[in-house]
Formats: sequence, structure tokens, C-alpha cells
Amino acid sequence: MMLSRPGRALRLTAVAAAASLALAACGSGDDAPAEGEGLGDLTVQLSWIKNAEFAGEFMADSKGYYADAGFGDVTFNAGPGATENLVASGKADFGLTNAVTVGQVVANEDAPIKIVGTTFQKNPFTILSLKDGANIETVEDLKGKKIGVQDGGNGLLFAALLAANGLTEDDVEIVPVQYDPQPLVNGEVDGFLAYVTNESIIVSSQGEEVTNLLFADNGLPFVAESVIATDETIAERPEAVKAFLEAEIKGWTDACADLEEGARLAVEEYGADQDLDLAKEVEQNTIQCEELINTDETAENGIFTISDELLAQNMATFEAAGIDATQEDVFDLSLLQELLDEQPELKG
Amino acid sequence: MSGVSTGPVRRGGAGRALAAGLGRAVATALLMAAVLTVVWVASVALVDNTFVAKGPAEVYEFLVTADDAATTRAQLGTALGVTLGDAAIGFVAGMLAATLAAALIVLSRPVETAVMPVALILRAVPLIALTPIIRLLFTDEVVRVAVVSGIVVLFPALVNIVQGLRSVSAQLTDVVHVYGGGPVALLFRVAFPSALPALFASVRISVPGAITGALLAEWLITGEGIGSMVVNAVGRSENNLVWACVLVVTLASLVLYLAAQIIESFVLARYGRS
Repeated sequence: MMLSRPGRALRLTAVAAAASLALAACGSGDDAPAEGEGLGDLTVQLSWIKNAEFAGEFMADSKGYYADAGFGDVTFNAGPGATENLVASGKADFGLTNAVTVGQVVANEDAPIKIVGTTFQKNPFTILSLKDGANIETVEDLKGKKIGVQDGGNGLLFAALLAANGLTEDDVEIVPVQYDPQPLVNGEVDGFLAYVTNESIIVSSQGEEVTNLLFADNGLPFVAESVIATDETIAERPEAVKAFLEAEIKGWTDACADLEEGARLAVEEYGADQDLDLAKEVEQNTIQCEELINTDETAENGIFTISDELLAQNMATFEAAGIDATQEDVFDLSLLQELLDEQPELKG
Repeated sequence: MSGVSTGPVRRGGAGRALAAGLGRAVATALLMAAVLTVVWVASVALVDNTFVAKGPAEVYEFLVTADDAATTRAQLGTALGVTLGDAAIGFVAGMLAATLAAALIVLSRPVETAVMPVALILRAVPLIALTPIIRLLFTDEVVRVAVVSGIVVLFPALVNIVQGLRSVSAQLTDVVHVYGGGPVALLFRVAFPSALPALFASVRISVPGAITGALLAEWLITGEGIGSMVVNAVGRSENNLVWACVLVVTLASLVLYLAAQIIESFVLARYGRS
């Protein structure tokens, strides 16, 4: 019995090795973009489920702006997921995420990715609480409270909020939650990390009066729904980056010009399986267009741009949150600038 | 099933069996380590992306030679301790529930028709969907962990143990009946000893199962231990940490599995079943 074992072990190992080699042979070259026509197929990693948060992307796709810009098939991958990882590993050409998460990943892991433009000038992150409940209005109110924080990137954001306000994780009780705000309504947590444009609206539509503690108003202003690409894409496929930004700008210009249509695309087409409520999605698109995407600065410079002042603000946020990354490490807006110089009409 | 005896026999036999079991365990460990390393290196080569796919060399650097390697190891050690604790809770809860349910099932058919579907449903419904219900039903953190991790252990163990309890030979059943023993006597005097191999098989399956269950409980409920560390690391693109977590949990499962195997060969030898 013992004699046959090394033989079997060897055979097993050999089979495993052969199988891996065979797989490796088939796998190579899969990630390269389709050659020949235009810019190849496009995969975009969204930061959330397919709802009105991506009204501009849905508009750009349905109106053919990605195709016009030279892309083939367009795939939107729903989130939430590890956007930085998915883009850095080539699973998506572009991803939508936020400056603080990118800053942390670049600082801690040397991720080869950069922000090339941003949808939201101001981030919509909030600590949502019930007026009848913990009613968290100030950072001081956070102390000793149970806060529902989702795993991963949102954990980083919450840590940054605490750090920017001189608090530590010992000052609050962090409760792991998923993205459904039910634990807040049930009273299992006092506060819940959320989007002011999403869960906040959902909970108030259930008849609860809500209080929002906005990150942007509490020491943590930063851009969000920002477009990331790998350093390799930026260096080797700059035309693809510019084409993507062009289609994005056109899509969001339309989505903000027709708030209902952007929301309708999410509810009836792209996010049809999500059982979305049209009124809520219209409200979300309205708030994001009026308060987060279009500002005085974008009226002048065009949407998706980040002014020097806003960049400085983002860097101050990094400093406050203890993120050790420079502006050049995280932002590369040169291709966006090139695009706007070539096509000034995109500034609207 | 030849030569069944139900009492401790042949101490020397047990010693030899233990030595053989140890030898087998070491051989299995080496084989598994070799296969895992080959698969690891091959998949890293296959993915061909140094940011996400970290090979043994990178993880070794991360855990041993890097500047903050000691801190990392301390954090991983603490997290692993928590996870092993959670796994122990799940293992004990799941095995106790499975053994108890199996005994009841063997004693009464109606219990089987009542219990089996429930066990099946608990295993078939994704735990992430059950979590909100578990949260509402139980307030105590330890109980929640026991339930989540126990559910993962319960079903395979239950099926195995029931099978084992039913494997009693007809002659032995007759002997018990001749001496006036009822179903309970049959269960404790004959069925449980006969079910030992099945019981240990389910222990071996349940050890990695309990760890999986503990990881799930940590992700979904407690927010501590390796289960929470690994999902956070994924979300934060801390890919070295992700691989280190996977390595640590895999090694822990392997060691515990082998420990179960050694105990199994020892106990079975004592009961003359080696």
C-alpha cells in the first residue's frame, strides 16, 4: 500500500501541472483588446447596481456615443465590487470609484491606476440616521454610536472620516452590514454609511424622517464616481481614454438635460431586473445632476473636469485622512484637457 | 464490516495504527502542499497580473522579509485565533446538532421526514439570505456564530452519521433483541460504535466546513477574524494580504484535517477497526 503512494502522488502532481499548463496556453492573449476595428470592446466597472447613478452611462450607450467614439460592444459590470482591483487586473477598461479609495489603494498597494476625470464634483457619502433615532447631526454625535459600515472600500472611507475629525475606531462601534439599509430602520445600528442620493431617499420614502451627516461637509470633501484607468491604458491607449471621456461627457450632458429619460433608462432598460422605482430614480438623478455633477466651476470648465482648487481640496482631504499619496500619484487629467482643447464644444 | 467488536482491544495494535496514521498524515500533508504549490504557481502564471496575482515568493516577502512583516504576522495571528475560535463554536454546535438529530432520526421515521427537509433547506438557501433572519432571531453574537457556522457543518455530518447508525448488522440487532434490549439500547450499545467510522468521516469533512462557516459568520455578522479581514482586503485591493489570509486559512484547515485523521486512526484502532 505504502509503495504505491509516491507513484500516485507523482501522477496527481503531473496531471495538475499538465492541466495548469494547458490552461495557461489557452489563457494567454485573452485580455488584449480586439484588434482591427476602432478601439475594441469596452468594459466599464460600475460602483453600484444599475440604477440612475449611471444615467449618463446608459444615455451614452443608448444614444450610441460610445460607438461613435470608436468602441465596439459595451459591457457595464454592476457593482459594488473591488473596482480598483478589477481595473488594475484588466477585468474592466475603466471603472467608477472615488478619490479617497483610489488614494488609499495607490498609497498602500502602489496600484497602477489613476483618475482621469470625475462625474461627481462632490461626494454623496453620508452617515444616515433616523431623526427619531440617533439623529446624528454632527461628528460629535458619532461618539459611542453603532455605525453600519459595509466591507472593503467603504470601511476605508469611514476610517478617513474618523481620522479627518480626530476620532478613532475606538470612539464608535462599527457593525458589519451589507448595502440594504434595513438594519438602520430596525434599530440594529444608529447610523449607516450610505449615499445621500440613494439610501437616504429610499429610507425617507418609507416614511422615516432622516438625518444626514455628509462627508463633504465634515472635513472630507473629495470627488466621486471618478473614472479610473490603468497607467498602461493611459500611456498606450490615450485615444481610448479620450474617446471614453468624450462619450461620458455627452451622455451625462444629455442625462442632466432630460432627468426623466436618464432615470427611465435605468428603471426600464439597463436596471430592469432591479425592480427600481421611477420616482425615486428621477429624484436621485435630479439631486446628482443639480448638486454633484454641475457646479459653478463645471459651468465654466465643463463637466468631468476637476479645478485646481478642487484638486487642492482633495489633497487636503488626503492629508486629513492620513493618505500618503501625491496629486500626480492619483490624478492624471492631461488627456481630459487635451480632449477639451480639441473639442471645446464639449464644455457645453 | 468483518470482525466487529465493540470494546477497546489490542493496545499494541492501537499504537501501531497511530504510528501508521501519523505516517499517512505526513505523506498526505506533503502531497497536498506540493499540489497546492503547483496549482498556486500555475494560476499566478495564468492570471499574469502582478498587481492581483501574488505568488509564493511575494507572499513570503510580505510575511517574512518586509519591514512591517512582524506587524502583519501579529495581525494575521490574532485574526486566525478568532477564526479558529469561531470555527470551534460552529464545529461543536453543528456536530452536536447533527448527532442528536441523527439519533432521533434513527429512532423514529416521522422525525426523519420532519428534520431532513429542514436541514436541506438550511444548507440550500445561501447564508447571506438567511443572515437577516438569524440576526433578528438571535441577539447573542456567539449564538449567531454557532448558527451560521453550524449550518455549514450540519447537513453533511447528519447524512453521514445517519448512514453510519443504520449500518448495524442484522446479527447484532438480533443479539440486542434476544437480550431484551429496545431501540435505545440498540442505539447506544451497537449503533453508535458501528457508526464510528462514519462519525469520523463527518468530523473530517466538518473541520474544513466549520472553518468555511466561521469565515462566513465573520463576514456577515461579527466583522472580526480572517473572514472579515479577507473581504476587507479584497475591497481595499490589499492583494498581498488577501493571499496571505488564504494561505493561513488553507494551512490551518490542512493541519486540522490531518489532526482529525490521526485521531480517527487511533480511535478506530482502539475499537478494532483499523
